[in-house]
Amino acid sequence: MNQPQAHAKPGPLQKHHFLIRRLHSLTGIVPIGVFLIAHLVTNSSLAWGKWGLRTEGRGYSVAEGGIKYFQKEVAWINTQVPHLLLIEITLWVSIAFHSILGFYYATTGKGNLPRYPHQDNWRYSLQRWSGYIGILFIFYHVATLRWGWTFLVPEGTKWSHDFSASTLAAALQGSPEGWTAAGIGISLFYFVGVSLLVFHFANGLWTAAITWGLTVSEKAQKQWGVACLGLGLGLMVAAWASLGGALLIDYDEAKGIESKLIVEKYGEDRLEELLDAAPAEPERPDEQAMADD
Amino acid sequence: MTEQRVIVVGGGLAGLAAAVRVAEAGVPVDLVSMVPVKRSHSVCAQGGINACNEVARQQGYSEYQHFDETIFGGDFLADQGPVLEMANWAPRIIDLLDRMGVPFNRTAEGFRDLRLFGGSLFKRTHFSGATTGQQLLYALDEQARRYEAEGKIKKYEFWEFLWPVTEGEGDDKRCVGMVAQDMRTMQIRAFRGAAVVMATGGNGLVFGKSTNSVICNGGAAARCYQAGAHYGNAEMIQVHPTAIPGADKCRLMSESARGEGGRVWVPKQKGDTRRPKDIPESERYYLLEERYPDYGNLVPRDIATREIFDICVNEGMGVDGENQVYLDLTHRDPDYLTRKLGGIMEIYEKFVGEDPRFNPMKIFPAVHYSMGGMWTTYTAGAYNPDSPLPAHKPGNAIPVSSDPGQGLTIGAPNNMMTNITGLYAFGEVNFAYHGATRLGANALLSCIFDGLCNGQSVVNYVRDEAGAVDDVASPVYDSVVKQEQDKHDALVSSSSGGSGDNSFNPYAIAKEMGDEMNAASTVVKSGPRLGQCMNKLSELRERYAKVELGDAAAWTNQSLSFSRAVGDMLIMAEAVAKGGLLREESRGSHYRTDFQDRDDDKFWKTSLAKYNPDTGSTDMEFVEVRKGLVQSRPRTYGKTAPAKSEPKQTAAAS
Amino acid sequence: MSDAYAHLHDAEQRRQNRKNAVPGRQVIIKIKRCDGPGKPSRWESFKVKTEAGSNVISCLKSIAANPVTTDGKQSTPVVWDSGCLEEVCGACTMVINGRVRQSCSCLIDEYAPREGDTLTLEPMSKFPVIRDLWVDRERMFHALKRVQAWVPIDGTYNLGAGPKESPEQQQTRYDLSECMTCGCCLEACPQFNLEEDEQAWDTAFIGAQAISQARLFNEHETGKRLKGERLDTLMGAGGVSDCGNAQNCVKVCPKGIPLTESIAAVGRSTTIHAVTRFFRGK
Repeated sequence: MNQPQAHAKPGPLQKHHFLIRRLHSLTGIVPIGVFLIAHLVTNSSLAWGKWGLRTEGRGYSVAEGGIKYFQKEVAWINTQVPHLLLIEITLWVSIAFHSILGFYYATTGKGNLPRYPHQDNWRYSLQRWSGYIGILFIFYHVATLRWGWTFLVPEGTKWSHDFSASTLAAALQGSPEGWTAAGIGISLFYFVGVSLLVFHFANGLWTAAITWGLTVSEKAQKQWGVACLGLGLGLMVAAWASLGGALLIDYDEAKGIESKLIVEKYGEDRLEELLDAAPAEPERPDEQAMADD
Repeated sequence: MTEQRVIVVGGGLAGLAAAVRVAEAGVPVDLVSMVPVKRSHSVCAQGGINACNEVARQQGYSEYQHFDETIFGGDFLADQGPVLEMANWAPRIIDLLDRMGVPFNRTAEGFRDLRLFGGSLFKRTHFSGATTGQQLLYALDEQARRYEAEGKIKKYEFWEFLWPVTEGEGDDKRCVGMVAQDMRTMQIRAFRGAAVVMATGGNGLVFGKSTNSVICNGGAAARCYQAGAHYGNAEMIQVHPTAIPGADKCRLMSESARGEGGRVWVPKQKGDTRRPKDIPESERYYLLEERYPDYGNLVPRDIATREIFDICVNEGMGVDGENQVYLDLTHRDPDYLTRKLGGIMEIYEKFVGEDPRFNPMKIFPAVHYSMGGMWTTYTAGAYNPDSPLPAHKPGNAIPVSSDPGQGLTIGAPNNMMTNITGLYAFGEVNFAYHGATRLGANALLSCIFDGLCNGQSVVNYVRDEAGAVDDVASPVYDSVVKQEQDKHDALVSSSSGGSGDNSFNPYAIAKEMGDEMNAASTVVKSGPRLGQCMNKLSELRERYAKVELGDAAAWTNQSLSFSRAVGDMLIMAEAVAKGGLLREESRGSHYRTDFQDRDDDKFWKTSLAKYNPDTGSTDMEFVEVRKGLVQSRPRTYGKTAPAKSEPKQTAAAS
Repeated sequence: MSDAYAHLHDAEQRRQNRKNAVPGRQVIIKIKRCDGPGKPSRWESFKVKTEAGSNVISCLKSIAANPVTTDGKQSTPVVWDSGCLEEVCGACTMVINGRVRQSCSCLIDEYAPREGDTLTLEPMSKFPVIRDLWVDRERMFHALKRVQAWVPIDGTYNLGAGPKESPEQQQTRYDLSECMTCGCCLEACPQFNLEEDEQAWDTAFIGAQAISQARLFNEHETGKRLKGERLDTLMGAGGVSDCGNAQNCVKVCPKGIPLTESIAAVGRSTTIHAVTRFFRGK
C-alpha cells in the first residue's frame, strides 16, 4: 500500500480517462445540445410560424401560418443544407458516444435521494433517469420519423418531409383521423421524453461549467444556474410548443396546405408524383376524399 | 545486522515531529498509535503557539524573556536548561511550520499575525484561527505521510501500547522494544526497536470529565511507570479556567478568547436573575481585572482557575447560583470574532445553543493538562552563569544568545531519555518543561520542540550507543508478550460467571475514580482530603482486582482495552494523589489549603514517583530541580486585592 | 434555493426541539450492530436516561456501562470510534437518523426531545465495518497519499520563514485545511462507493475530501511544486471527472468546507493543465 501509484495495467478507458470524460461532456453541448436548440426552435415554428412569415402570414390562422412556415423550414433543411448526411452521421455518432458512455458512467454511482433529498441531489438522479428515458425516446423518434420504421408507428404513418406537419400530426395523434389510444400514449411519451431531454441538456450545461472549471465560486455556480434555468425554461416552452402544435394540427387541413405549397412551387405533376410514391396512403379508405380536396 | 528501527508510540505533535525527524535522518520508524495519527488529541489545542518574533523583539521582548516567563509561570519547578533551549528554538519552529504550510493568520501586509496570551504582556502567540493545534498536527501529519509513502515511516494505527520490553536491571536497564495489541484483531505482538519514544500525551481521563480526548487515559505512561520508568511531578495537573461543562466531557474555551479581549465577570448581586446584557457595567464584578490590574484576564491559568473556583464555590456568586461565570466577548465586533476565534465560537454555539458573539459564554474550570509526566534527563548546554539572574526586564540586554546549544547539548543521546536507557518521553508525557503550571500556547511548542530537537538525540543514541537490537534473545520479547496475553485472557474470562455486582463494573470503577480525583486532587487540595482520596483509591483497586467485563469478544473488544487501562489509571491516580499529599506547600497549579505558601526550602524539588512492584504502590521522593539560570521570586502577577477569603476546608470536597 | 431553506427549517426545528426537550426523559437508541467483517447485521434498541447536554456519546457510554436491550436481553457494549468529542478529530462520524454526521455534536435534545423518542445509529455505509459503529477509513488516508497532500519542504532544518501570504489567501487555505478526514462528504456522495478491495481504491472515485486537499496544496507557494503530479492523478480513473455534481458533500460537511468550489477549481486546473500539456508536449 506504500506505492499508491502502482496499479494494474490500465485499459484504454482508464488511460484516456480525462479525454474521454471531457469528450463526453463536450459532445453533450456540441453537437448534441446545439442541434437540440436548432431542432426545437424549428419545430416550435408550428406554433409561432404565423408571425415568422411576417407580412405574408397576415390573414393566416395560427395553425395555417405554423404549418406553412414549418414546411418551408423542413424543405429548406432537406434541400438547401449541404452535407446533410454528414451532419446527421456526426450527430448519430455523438449521441451514441454520449449515451453509451453515459450509461456506463451512471452505473458507477448509486443514488441516495431518500437520505439526502437536496435540490442538487434531485438533479443528480434526474440527470441519470432523463438520460435513460431520453435515449429511448431519441431512438424511437429517429427510427420512426427519420428511418421510416413504420412498424413502430400506430397505423404505420410514414413521415415525409414534403408533408412534414400532416404526417407528424398523424404519427403523434395515432391516425390521420385524429386521436387514438395509442396516439395518446405516443404523445405522452413525446411529452415526457422531450421534457426530460431539455432538462438533461440544461442541467448538463450547468454541470459542464463546473467540470470545465468555468464556474468556481458558489456564487458563480448559482448565477450560471439561473442562466441555465432560463435557457432550460425557454427550450421547454419551445418543446411544448412544438408538441402542442403537432398535437393540435388537423391532418386534412395540413395536408391541404402542404399540397398547395407543392403545387405552387413545382406544379400539379409533382404533387401527383409524391402522392403516388407514398405507399401508406393508398390503403386508407378515405384516400379519394383526400385527393379531391 | 539488519537495520535498527526506532519505535514512536503516539502520533500527536510530539510523536509526529519525532517520527519525521528520525526518519529524515535515515533511521526507519515504526509509528504506533491507538488512533489514526491525524485524530490525535493535539487537534484540540486551540489558541496558538508561543515564540519570540520580530515585532515583539523590537518592543523589548526576547527568547530569553520567553524562557523567563515560562519558568516564572511554572513557579520555578521546571529544570531550567531545557526551557531555555525550547524558548530559543521557538522562532525557528514557527518558521519551519510556516514552511510546512500551516495557514497562520496574517496581517494586512502578509506577515504572521500575533495575539496576546496568558502570562505575558507581549504579543508572542502565533495562531491559525482558533484551531491552531489541529493545523499544526495536520502539517506534521502530512510530512509523516510523505515519509510513509517513501517507506521511511511505517504506521501501526489502531495499535495499543501495552508494555515496554527491557533487558538488564537497575542502571543497565535498557529498552529494546515494546509489545502492542491490534485493537481490531486483538493480536498481541512484540516490536523490536533500538529506541522507544513515548509520546502518549496526558492523563485527563483519570479525573473523569476533562477537556481531553477519550484516548487520553495515561495508560501507556502508567505501564512504563509500572515497568520501572520514574514519574515526575505527578501532582501537577492544570485545570483550565474556561471550559463548557458537558455530559460526556468538558469542552475547552481557549485562552485566546481572553487574549482577544474576553472578560470574566459575575453579577455583583448574588442570585441576579437578569439577562447578562441587562446588567449594567456598574453591577458587574470583573474579578480578574479588579484583582490583577496588570495582567487582568490574562493571568496564568492556575490563578484564573482558583479565582473562578473561589467566586463560585466559596463566595457563592456563580451565575444563576451555579458553578459558572461569564466569559464575555460581546463587546467585540462579531466579524472580528468569527475571523479570529471562529473555531471556538462554533463549538460553543453547537454544544450550548447560544451565539457567543451576542451572549456571554458560561464557563467553569476543567482538568486540562498534565505538567507532570515521565521523568527525563538531559545534558546541559553551554550557558552556565556564575550565579542565577534576577527577573528579566523587557529591553534589558539578554545574558545569553539564542543560538542552539545554550540550554541543552544538542544531540546528546540522553536528552529527554527516561531512567530506562533507550526509552524516551516527548511531549505532554514528558515532565520537563512546564513546572507547576503551563503557560497557554507553550504546549504545542514543547511537543514539537521535543520531537525536532530531541529526535536528533534518539538518532544519535541509535547510531552510537544502542547495541544491535537483533542480538537480543527472543525470550526477552516472548515473556512480555506472554505477560500481556495472560492479562488479556484473564480479563476476557472475567466476563463470564461473574457476580453481576455493579461495583465490579469497570465503567463504574472508572467513574468513581474520576469523581474522587476531580474533587480531591485538582483546584483545591488538602492533606485530610487527599488522605481520604488515597483510601478511596485503595478500595477501588481492591474492587478492580475482581473486575468483570461486559464483553468476551475475541474481535475488536473495546471494553477490554478500556478495562485494562482503568487498572493502570488507578495506579497513576495513586501517584498523583500521593505527590499532592506529600508536597506540603502551594506552588503553581498545586494549591493546598493547609499549606498556602510556596516553600522553596523544602519543596523547590521535583517529586519523583517510583513504582514498587513488591507493594504494588508508589514510592515517592523529592529530588533537586536543576536550576542555576534564574533566581526564584514570588509569583504574584501584581495581585492588588486584599487576600481572598480563606477557602473553607469543606470546599475541596465539593 | 429550496434546499437551503430546508436546511434552515431543519436547524430551526432542532432549535425548537432543544427548547422544548423534556428533562430527565428516557429515549430509545436503536443501533445497527455487526460483530465483525462478514458477519450479519442486526438491530438492537436500548433505553437511555438523558441528562442536560446529553449527546450520542454520553448515551453510548451509559449503554456500555449497562448493555441491556429494551426487551431485557443482556447484550455487549456497543463498539464505536471517538476521540476529541469537540468535532475537530472526525473520529465519531456515523449515520444518525439516516444522515451522516459526528455523534459528539449530536445533542439528544435536538433529535429526541420527547419521552420515548427514538434515535437511530448506523455505521457509515461507504467504509468496511470493523465492528458495530466502527468503520475503517484507511482509504481516505490512502487517497491523501495518492494526491501527495503535503508541502514538499527540503527538510526540517532551520531555513528561515515560509512564503509570505495575504490574509485572503490564508483564509482560503485555512478553510480547506480544516478538513478532519471524517468522511461525511464521501458517505453522502452517490458517486463514492464501498470498495472492500484495496486494489479498487486507485480507480474508483476518490471523492471530495482528497480533491479539496489537492487544491489546498496547489494553493501553497511551495506546495505548487507537485501541482502537475496531483492533477495527473486527479485526471486519471476515479479522479475529479467522476464527480456527478450531486453536491451533497458540501451540505453534510461539518466544517463548511467549500468542497464544490474545490471540485470546480480542480476542474479548471485540469482543463488548463491538459491544454498546456498538449501544446508543451509533456
